[in-house]
Amino acid sequence: MAETRQTELAHADSRESVTPLGPVRRSRDLRVYLVVLGGVMMLADLSFIFWVAPTDSILGDIQRVFYFHVPIAVMSFLAFFVVFVASIVYLVTRSPAWDRLAQASAEVGVVFVTLALITGVIWARPIWGVWWTWEPRLTTTLILWLIYVAYLMVRAYAANPNQGARYSAVVGIVGFVDVPIVYYSVIWWRSIHPSPVVGPLAQANALEGTMAAVLLFSFITFLILFVFLVAQRMALRETEDRLGGIKSAMRRRAESVF
Amino acid sequence: MAGLQSDLPFDLEAENDGGKGHRTRFVILGLVVALAVGYMVYAAFPGNALYFLTVSEFMARDSAQDGRTVRVAGKLVDGSFLREENSTVANFRLTDNDGELVGQQLNASYLGVLPDLFFNPHSEVILEGSYGTDRVFQVNNVLVKCPSKYQSVEQEQEQRLLN
Repeated sequence: MAETRQTELAHADSRESVTPLGPVRRSRDLRVYLVVLGGVMMLADLSFIFWVAPTDSILGDIQRVFYFHVPIAVMSFLAFFVVFVASIVYLVTRSPAWDRLAQASAEVGVVFVTLALITGVIWARPIWGVWWTWEPRLTTTLILWLIYVAYLMVRAYAANPNQGARYSAVVGIVGFVDVPIVYYSVIWWRSIHPSPVVGPLAQANALEGTMAAVLLFSFITFLILFVFLVAQRMALRETEDRLGGIKSAMRRRAESVF
Repeated sequence: MAGLQSDLPFDLEAENDGGKGHRTRFVILGLVVALAVGYMVYAAFPGNALYFLTVSEFMARDSAQDGRTVRVAGKLVDGSFLREENSTVANFRLTDNDGELVGQQLNASYLGVLPDLFFNPHSEVILEGSYGTDRVFQVNNVLVKCPSKYQSVEQEQEQRLLN
């Protein structure tokens, strides 16, 4: 028994070294570039937000939360859009790569929407006067958070990875309905949230020039952070898949020995 | 060696034996969930479930004045704010947020700390509370809605000079 395991491990090892590592290494290099670029941009972004962007005439310094809050919220929309597309392609092609993309993007999206809620709470207390209120955008955003937490739970509690991938793909497609609802909530319903400052429905001159430039930079910074996190998670998932394959092969081999 | 490679968790051959019936059931289930979510969103918001009423809507709606908790939004009437002597109770009036026209006014009374931007002329005030028998709105919570426009102190001063 012990001997078989030894040889299995040796096989697994030798397979690692024999496999041409070209694509793996290239993806790792890409991630290194992304994390260096993202780190430098994040530092620059912080200095722009606190030193370059002018202080808002009405809200004061607390308005600087805006440069985190809005890009983070929009990146969560982007993340769930990626989940939506990757889930459809996965259900059609059943290719694991698309499922990896969907899972990675969903996990990062949940982190971003959580951060959007937290930064929103911090901003709401001094300006609105309350930490939380059940107004349309806050309520629909909380629903969004619940949908994608459910997505991760459906995946985690499925009987096997294939089932988890399929079931969560359906949640990822249906759940995306809420993203446009969150964006349009301040148009369709009365809300305490300001009307959109970015996107198709933004008013003209809602932002002063310097503020808009800092916001744009912040968007690019958080986009790079998003891409890096998704790429990192996908690489991890690939390793998990390979490990899962090796484990079950070993289990089968062990069973066939007895 | 071969066993190692073919046994990835994504073993599609073994998976698809469920056949087409399985997939149809899944599509139906997905549709049911989608419809349920859509209905909940539809039922939760429009019509009766407005986040706030305007002052004139509140005054016109008897059903909102029977002591139930509602939200009313409007502008603080200039010069209406008054703190009772030796007390933290604030009395003020609210009116509709449509420019110069001063329409109906709502008397309100609030005990507590006001948000920083309560007195800002750009702010809209949202009151959570209920209408008392004395025709004074007893406020539990004060919220402040700000304009969706951001500008620096310098730009604001420039604009003020232009006007």
